Amino acid sequence: MRIFGYCFQAAFKSIWREKWINLLTILSISIGLLLLCVFVIFTSNMDSVLQRWSKNFGMVVYLTDDIGQAGEDALKRTFQQDDDISKVKYISNAQALEEIRNALGSNALILDDFQENPLPSSFELKLRSELLEPAIVKEKAAQIGKMPGVEEVQYGEKWLSSLYIISKTLKIGAICFGFAMLIAITFITYCTIKIFFHRKNDEIETIKLLGATRAFTRLPFLIEGIFIGTMGGIISSIIIFGAYSFATLKIIEFLPSIGLMLSSIPLLAYLLIPFAGATMSLLGSFIAVGKIRY
Amino acid sequence: MILLSDVSKSYNKEVILKDFSMTIGKGEFTYVTGPSGSGKSTLLKLIYCSERPDSGQIVVGEWTVTKLKQKAIPYLRREVGVVFQDFKLLVNQTVFENVALAMRINGRPSREVKEYVNAVLREVKLSHKANMFPLQLSGGEQQRVVIARAMVSKPAVLLADEPTGNLDPDNTDIVMKLFREMNSRGTTVLIATHDQNLYQGTGQRVFHIVDRHIDQEFIG
Repeated sequence: MRIFGYCFQAAFKSIWREKWINLLTILSISIGLLLLCVFVIFTSNMDSVLQRWSKNFGMVVYLTDDIGQAGEDALKRTFQQDDDISKVKYISNAQALEEIRNALGSNALILDDFQENPLPSSFELKLRSELLEPAIVKEKAAQIGKMPGVEEVQYGEKWLSSLYIISKTLKIGAICFGFAMLIAITFITYCTIKIFFHRKNDEIETIKLLGATRAFTRLPFLIEGIFIGTMGGIISSIIIFGAYSFATLKIIEFLPSIGLMLSSIPLLAYLLIPFAGATMSLLGSFIAVGKIRY
Repeated sequence: MILLSDVSKSYNKEVILKDFSMTIGKGEFTYVTGPSGSGKSTLLKLIYCSERPDSGQIVVGEWTVTKLKQKAIPYLRREVGVVFQDFKLLVNQTVFENVALAMRINGRPSREVKEYVNAVLREVKLSHKANMFPLQLSGGEQQRVVIARAMVSKPAVLLADEPTGNLDPDNTDIVMKLFREMNSRGTTVLIATHDQNLYQGTGQRVFHIVDRHIDQEFIG
């Protein structure tokens, strides 16, 4: 414990002595974390928008004319018992015609030319959101298409594919960008601590000759690294909190629609940012100090 | 206390010590001498495990140095004080902090560190310079700080590599007196020097190294 206290003291003396280079490192880390957070927030907001869009995604199952009431009831039961389907809505051919009539408004007169209702009855199905992958939906549509009494299954195949690709690309992008930023933070701390380590080479040799253990030699550098990373993270958190508060309170006044785009940041995220900074900086410091040999 | 048996050491195929053997008893005050490059410093480095021998055995107290694992080396060094010709003081720390460092590494409580370091600084007559930095001191004073640093950890063995090489006769006398005081408290002392004046007339054992091994052992 006493040794830990001494190492803490040594680390903070060094932080103060090398305040400018430490400050620059802290700012570099905070910029890195800030970029990472902005990208993650953007991705998560985009994802929530995409999720909202995908909730409207439906599959329309058109029925054959000769299906009959018993066939429709059987199909309805099958759909209701299917775990993949979250909502089932039956639309009779009369309802369908009425909907078209309403949609056409004054142009609905053209429908009067038909002697009988040309529209088929249908089921509108909504799949569970986690199943909204093009391959799964395609397979499901094919499966339903083979059921007796089903004429055709329609869904926005291209729309779903585009949505899926955008969402997937954003997620992969966020992971790659996040990974690159975390490596950058590790590297920034590595460089700073390596400089300190080389600068204190004589000091390290002396304390090793006096009987300092590896932990005693390493600890001040690791503490310094953790401090740098944590401070970088705290600055990022403060900036993000400020910017987000500004966006939600002020910009919404002028651009209310932005409210739909902004999903809230949980409090835990503000604590996670300094933690991520500290962890990556600790890793950077650890690599910088390396293996201590006697 | 210190035993070297058939120790050999070479750097880049240049043999420095060959089948070198010597024994120093507990509490002895001894010298090792020889021309520059004869291997005096290497001998000390082997004892405090800064270098490893190519062959042979080295024992310091209860430590078999040649079999020592890396992680055990710090604990050996806490029992072996070393005084260097180039001092090896931390220039950005005060005299007090430099001396206290050896105790802090040992995890001694702050109060004990304060009391003991002040007592040792009084002994080496540097109390009034406790808050000064090494570069503000003369060579003799810096060497006394190094000795004080070695004294605070109460080492069983004290090794000194040309400790008076950079000092004038007055400071040399002061430093040698401090070594003798440490020896009188039971510390085994081994001084590497090429200065004959240090050991002549002392009545203490002197090992003379020539041509990679002990050429002669005599009483100074």
